[in-house]
Amino acid sequence: MNRFKWFTRNWWILHAVAVPFFFWLGHAVRF
Amino acid sequence: MTIKTYVRSTLLGALIALALAGFMLHARIHLITENPAFTVPFIAGILSVVAVPVLFWFKKTLSYGYVLNGFLCIIGTVTMAHYAIARWDAPTSPPDIVFKSMVIDILIVWGKFLVGKALFDLESFGYDPERPKAGLTYRYPNMGWWLIHLAAVSTVYTLGNLLWSRS
Repeated sequence: MNRFKWFTRNWWILHAVAVPFFFWLGHAVRF
Repeated sequence: MTIKTYVRSTLLGALIALALAGFMLHARIHLITENPAFTVPFIAGILSVVAVPVLFWFKKTLSYGYVLNGFLCIIGTVTMAHYAIARWDAPTSPPDIVFKSMVIDILIVWGKFLVGKALFDLESFGYDPERPKAGLTYRYPNMGWWLIHLAAVSTVYTLGNLLWSRS
């Protein structure tokens, strides 16, 4: 749980990675 | 064996069964050689079958399992909805809309999410029947937080799909 606290404190780092990732995923996935 | 271990094992069994079913179903229907996009369910399936149960098993990594399971379900929902929209072939009746869309498959993936949530809640908040439910709906780890993230991922994914076109 201690290491998870790092994620909750630094949630913006996760968002800085996740938002471009999902943007790229939308671009990459074509049906 | 305590009831706690027993219930935890039951829920983990359900989680693995659903993950395996999803992985095998995708492997049969969506061959990676047909479309590179089908690597998404392949990787998500491997993570669901291997990583999620391991993370859920240890108290230290429980939160990671919960978050990973939830985001895999969100990715599943968004990509399957995208697939249904992209391959929409003129439904003629309301039952047709239900059966030809991916609503059924999306409901299954949310079943998997809810099994994970039950496991997380029981492990985090204990098995006390008198304990009241606490916390704001829109804050982690409650359902509102997940709905916000589903909406946010859908929006970012859609923008990526529409704005970043392939030449």
